[in-house]
Amino acid sequence: MKSPLKRNNVNVIGHGQKVIVFAHGFGCDQNSWKFIIDAFTDEYKLVLFDYVGSGQSDLSQYDQVRYATLNGYAQDILEVCAELGILGSVFIGHSVSAMIGLLAAKINPALFEKLIFISPSPHYLNEEGYRGGFERRDLEALFEFMDHNYLGWSSALAPAIMGNVDRPELGEFLTSSFCSTDPDIARQFAKVTFFSDNRRDLNDVNVESLTLQCSDDIIAPLEVGDYIHANLKGNQLVVMKATGHCPHISEPEETIAAIKAYLNNN
Amino acid sequence: MSTAYNRENIGSLIDIEALYQYAPCGYVSFFPDGTIIKVNQTLLEWLGEQEEDLLFKKKFSDLISKGGNMHFEMFFRPMINVYGKVKELSYELIGKEGKIFPILLSATTIRDNENRIAAINAALYEITDRKQFEKELVTAKKQADLERRRFAFLADLIPEIIWKADADGRIDYLNERFFQYFNIERRIVHPPRLLLRIHPEERRLFIDQWHNSFNKGTELNVTLRLEGEPGSHKWHLIKGAPHKDEYGKLNKWFGSCFNIDEHVKALQKKDDFISIASHELKTPVTSLKASLQLLDRLKPEIQSKKVISLIDQASRTAGKVTTLISDLLDASQMSNGQLHLNKTDFYIFETIEDSCSLLNEDLHKIVFEGDVSLKTYADQDRISQVITNFVNNAVKYAPKSKNIRILVEQLEKCIKVTVIDNGLGISKEKQRHLFDRYYRVDNSGAQVSGLGLGLYISAEIIKKHNGTIGVDSSPGKGASFWFMLPRLEE
Repeated sequence: MKSPLKRNNVNVIGHGQKVIVFAHGFGCDQNSWKFIIDAFTDEYKLVLFDYVGSGQSDLSQYDQVRYATLNGYAQDILEVCAELGILGSVFIGHSVSAMIGLLAAKINPALFEKLIFISPSPHYLNEEGYRGGFERRDLEALFEFMDHNYLGWSSALAPAIMGNVDRPELGEFLTSSFCSTDPDIARQFAKVTFFSDNRRDLNDVNVESLTLQCSDDIIAPLEVGDYIHANLKGNQLVVMKATGHCPHISEPEETIAAIKAYLNNN
Repeated sequence: MSTAYNRENIGSLIDIEALYQYAPCGYVSFFPDGTIIKVNQTLLEWLGEQEEDLLFKKKFSDLISKGGNMHFEMFFRPMINVYGKVKELSYELIGKEGKIFPILLSATTIRDNENRIAAINAALYEITDRKQFEKELVTAKKQADLERRRFAFLADLIPEIIWKADADGRIDYLNERFFQYFNIERRIVHPPRLLLRIHPEERRLFIDQWHNSFNKGTELNVTLRLEGEPGSHKWHLIKGAPHKDEYGKLNKWFGSCFNIDEHVKALQKKDDFISIASHELKTPVTSLKASLQLLDRLKPEIQSKKVISLIDQASRTAGKVTTLISDLLDASQMSNGQLHLNKTDFYIFETIEDSCSLLNEDLHKIVFEGDVSLKTYADQDRISQVITNFVNNAVKYAPKSKNIRILVEQLEKCIKVTVIDNGLGISKEKQRHLFDRYYRVDNSGAQVSGLGLGLYISAEIIKKHNGTIGVDSSPGKGASFWFMLPRLEE
């Protein structure tokens, strides 16, 4: 087996002892943590990585069968942590990664001491007695949108390639590829993500956790945050002022403050 | 010459507000949370909305489809935060009556003193036509992929090798059978190594023909032995045909490679049989001829006219049998490449005269045209054989043509001999096969006898002399059989 560190483009930074594993969400890569990681490097050791198919991961190791469920992605995290000898760490997962981290914690409860979920959702579809926020046809519209939008999408990636002279501090961020994802894998990842149902897994995990819920997030609406809070033992819920689905990018300070408050007080 | 412009008036000519309101694209500005704060008339018209129903009441995300919304959250928002602008993201706007129209969205940010995003300005371009085109492009690509897969499926189904090459002769497709036959894995095609799978005796021939075809754009047709299993060479016929695009420019080659081993071996067996049979026949026929010659000499002692005429008839027939047998022997030797020439310097005219001496002059008249002093350096017997064959054919196939013309011409680099009859002529289609072995112009004509070897033998003889052989004819207009020999160097 090839090294999972290479496969997942793992980067370890920071000066602390305690480890935080940062897991990016759908459509992004580890660069999406850029705005908040500096706040943690003095006290923690940070582990950053890209899922296979995202960022600088080894595309050749993409395996349709392995990554047909979120468990395959959880397996990546388990392998990276095993390789680095990580136990009792903090896990921060954005969007779909929240549930990937939950699955990893279910398989190996000793891995994480605390789980921090940013904009999580255990299930995106509306069901009887559950409001995930999406009807099946909405999701199918998204997949069709992705299928028929490849010209539009490629120009969306253009700024990342061109760089940005106005904000040199973003230089490194821009030269590495933000949101650069193989389109076929992205489509597959989207299907796995949006059709997953991890509501039952919430009952199987006994690790302390924090849910950072944005106040207006169409992908993970408030009800979803409430549902996690109600069904996951030891979960704290913080509803942020930040709107949207990516508070760590749009409101990094509020996000940092919420994470630090949780880590320092618990 | 310069025109004096009144620059002061320009301000009044261009109405910035109208430019904004009625621009060919939609403008919308919104807060970071999406709340709409300004919108132009163009966009309001597209949407069928009133300004007061949108401003501070709706968010931009309310105007786009759900799928677009997810993209907006996951891509637009992070990107606008990071880059401060986005360019040409594709979304679908939903108008008041549910009318959907595709747009491209470009946006920039306005930042406050703390460099936080205060508002976002977006320009929306309607792209219904482009979207339609894009959709057709995707459909066409899918269609093309499907066709390619169908072609590959069909090609793999065929139990023979199929190949494709680009205009320069680089192979870009091989079907499954190829990889099976040579027992190599796909993607590991290494042309120089493949050449080693061609039998050494035909390798040079193949390379020459291949380059010749690709350089000239002419059809490829090579028979050679290929090594499939180690040590086992099988005869194959490689064909390739140039494919031209709509402007007549060569853009592809399509080819096959058929296993003709059994066919070649069957032909070989037939040749072997004919060779053995004609050898076996030759000895008794020779002694038969010797006996007939003896009998011929005894003719003065014979009283019965009937017996004398029978002896003559038998001698003539034995002569014909000898000719047939030597044709068969010649043909089998030639197909094995065993024709040896015995070249001398001779007058072509004399050879022609000799060749025609046996003809019945009452029925046919030879008209000779040309320079009687022309000499050539060749195998005199073999050249005589060719001329005899031409003349005999003229007699056979143009029985009513009294005059047979023989034309000898001295061309720049060769001597050309043409035998011209006024017979039935030969169609273009048949001309192609005339010089093939065992080919007879018309099998239905019962009165025409022969093995179909004469022209084949003639062609082989001329080829061996580095000359060329051919026919000019069209139905009803007679035929001109000709050959050209390189001229004797002075």
